[in-house]
Amino acid sequence: MASSDPKLGSDVRSRGDLPFTRRDVLAGTALGIIAAGAPTLARAAAPQDQLTWAIHVSLAPTWFDPADTLGLISPFMVLYALHDAMVKPMPGNAHASSLAESWSSSEDSLTHDFVLRDGVRFHNGEPVTAEDVKFSFERYRGAAHELMKSKVAAIDSVDGRHVRFKMKEPWPDFLTFYSSASGAGWIVPKTYVQKVGDDGFKKAPIGAGPYKFVSFNPGVELVLEAFDGYWRKTPSVKRIVMKVIPDESTRLAALKRGEVDIAYSIRGELAQELRSTPGLTLQPVVLADASWIYFPEQWDSKSPWHDMRVRQAANLALDREGMSKALFLGYCKITNNALVPYTFEYFWQPPPAVYDPDKAKELLAAAGYAGGFDSGPLYIDSSYANVGEICVNNFQAVGIRTTLEPVERAGFIAAYAGKKYRRGTIRGASGAFGNAATRMASFAVKGGAFSYGSYPDIDALYPQQADELDEKKRGAILAKMQQLVYEKMMFAPIWQLGFLNGTGPRVGHSSFGAIQGFPYTAPFEDITIKGA
Amino acid sequence: MSDYATTQTGHDPRLALPPPGAAAWSGAVGWLLRFLHQPMSRFIIKRSGYALLSLFLLSLTIFFFVRVTGDPAALLVEPGASPGDVAAIHHQFGLDRPLWVQYWLFMVSLAHGDLGQSFYYQTPVMGLYLSRLPYSIELAAAAMLFSLLIGIPAGILAAVHVGRFWDQFGKLFTLLGLSMPAFWIGLLMILLFSVYLGWLPSSGADTPWHLIMPAFALGWYFAAAHMRLTRSSMLEVLGSEYIKLARLKGLPQTLVIAKHAFKNALIPVLTLAGINLVLMVNVAIVVEYVFAWPGIGRLLYEGIAFRDFPVVQGVVILGGAMIVLVNLVIDILYAVIDPRIRLGN
Repeated sequence: MASSDPKLGSDVRSRGDLPFTRRDVLAGTALGIIAAGAPTLARAAAPQDQLTWAIHVSLAPTWFDPADTLGLISPFMVLYALHDAMVKPMPGNAHASSLAESWSSSEDSLTHDFVLRDGVRFHNGEPVTAEDVKFSFERYRGAAHELMKSKVAAIDSVDGRHVRFKMKEPWPDFLTFYSSASGAGWIVPKTYVQKVGDDGFKKAPIGAGPYKFVSFNPGVELVLEAFDGYWRKTPSVKRIVMKVIPDESTRLAALKRGEVDIAYSIRGELAQELRSTPGLTLQPVVLADASWIYFPEQWDSKSPWHDMRVRQAANLALDREGMSKALFLGYCKITNNALVPYTFEYFWQPPPAVYDPDKAKELLAAAGYAGGFDSGPLYIDSSYANVGEICVNNFQAVGIRTTLEPVERAGFIAAYAGKKYRRGTIRGASGAFGNAATRMASFAVKGGAFSYGSYPDIDALYPQQADELDEKKRGAILAKMQQLVYEKMMFAPIWQLGFLNGTGPRVGHSSFGAIQGFPYTAPFEDITIKGA
Repeated sequence: MSDYATTQTGHDPRLALPPPGAAAWSGAVGWLLRFLHQPMSRFIIKRSGYALLSLFLLSLTIFFFVRVTGDPAALLVEPGASPGDVAAIHHQFGLDRPLWVQYWLFMVSLAHGDLGQSFYYQTPVMGLYLSRLPYSIELAAAAMLFSLLIGIPAGILAAVHVGRFWDQFGKLFTLLGLSMPAFWIGLLMILLFSVYLGWLPSSGADTPWHLIMPAFALGWYFAAAHMRLTRSSMLEVLGSEYIKLARLKGLPQTLVIAKHAFKNALIPVLTLAGINLVLMVNVAIVVEYVFAWPGIGRLLYEGIAFRDFPVVQGVVILGGAMIVLVNLVIDILYAVIDPRIRLGN
């Protein structure tokens, strides 16, 4: 009890008193009131017609210029907003007419004609013309530019809206490359680019897409506003802000607080947290990103990996479902095709994947490795080291003794492509646009950028499919190639990655998953705000 | 005849004016010689020379070490790009030149204040740096304010109540501040104050409210350092003779501490604070990453992640120049205050 002596004051404690005074109680009560009901002092309400993204990667100015498009998916995050293409992947159609009202190819695949949509304009009001289409192709210097320019003999502007591409030789993959595997078909205004130059264009890009450039703070924020003159529809979201928030936990916190409306790349336990938060929606997207375990030692007759039974054992040892549930909440797609995503042209569906560690041990014993063997390191891009850890554990469980060797991304890709990883195994992946033929070319046939070796029967099929103009026959050849890759167990397939994102309560239609295999929100003009 | 022969004009030649400019030159040379003979001048020149040498060695070190990280072209082209594409990138950024040529060109540009062009952002590095610098200064200033407002009073209390509750509390505070990683503190604060309580924004730099958590996360470590130094400095001062005299004179404890002990104890703390301020501006990488604060630390992280050599070189050299300059100024001030230093004793 506090002393009642007026000289001492009511807050003075005497022996036997409680360990706190009335002043302490009042202070604690005040803090509790503040904690329970304090207004969110620092949350500024976003404008009603604006949505904010939390981006996981740093935006580069090269992404504003289709001419510099790399064979990566990230630049398309911005391209779909700022620019438009003659033909591009859209919901329900991998080659949807966009700036081109129609397109056609000759039977011999030597010419490809495009007719521009009437009335399409750039953000500065200039009409999109055949000259712009020709200019955009000729200035293109990004992914596959050497290949494309080596195949194209000439580009004719037949009239203001009609463009004709003439090939040097029949090339059935022209549209695949023009529409999705490169930025060559994304159109920029010739007059403007020639006036401001390439550097000036990156600072103030002008395109024909649903959003206009407003401002860019490198590495921090990109602001776009709706283009009223977009041919397809005027976007209902008037303003888009893309903020770079590199830390995953911080992105989720920003989404929970309503500071952002859409957050890219929230994985593992954080994705679980997102899913269980009222008002937030988990938005999983299956990417056209196949991943696999590659066996570079299969070409070495002295190595255990040379024996197909050993490779089959490794394949059976992988618990793909368990990995997917643990790391990506079960959203990865397990097609059992190592290289070709199911959304690609000429995809071949293998038999379902099997997880059978007992059978794996039997195969190893039959191959003479009943006690297991030392496999060397499993090399992996360090950003996916969590996948690698599970693979290592799965291998260890059947006797394939291996260690994890995570490598920083650029170093990993350089070493993989440079054929440095001769010993051990490699966890590879590819999210590049293309089709089954492009994946075979890079990974499975002789001379491929990532091919450490090849089989003659698969190599023999590759030029056959390249020359085949009949789609069905070509599809059959490519299916056969994929089947051989599977049967020879050149790779142990893992999955197509489930890319996990989140949206907040203000988002109506997010466009996540609208374009098959595309990880980000697109088409932007279809995104809506609830109640708007 | 006069001792002074006159010229035909009637003027003493010794009084004749020197040729135009000669007087000014001789005056300047004389001044320079007198200046160079001053102990303080020699001290400043010597220290400045060391500073320039440090910066030169720093430029050499960062130039070569950043290139050990690998080929930046690997991150600027798609996986499996043709050798021609890679060679084009090398040529575009001058990476196909011999190293010593690259270094020479780098130093020539640096002498003109040009830090080169970012490989990733394709904008001048100086522009990038200057756009991020105000944010770093803002964060560092707020973190320094916090660290002094907490560290100094805590240090004084610990010294005055040595061995008792406030001293133990101060030791705990110091231990936590020095041992807990800043990113962990940051994430916990985001969880508590942004997500659970909803009081503060989680990331960015749009309003003053955005500054509070990153400043605390950055400042706690330095608050601990300031607290320790204040405590030991106060203990030393409180044990000195003039403090004993003040107490013997019957001065109240608060007056003894606030008026007599505090100011003297503060000198080393402020010296350290000045150096720490420059460090805060340049090394808040983790805090800026966690809070998406658009400062120099995050720029350096991006430069390292993207193997953006000009960005890394520019940020490190400018940061090094700041630290060298601050140390130089402190050395000079010490020499001004203490003649033993400028006379080399």
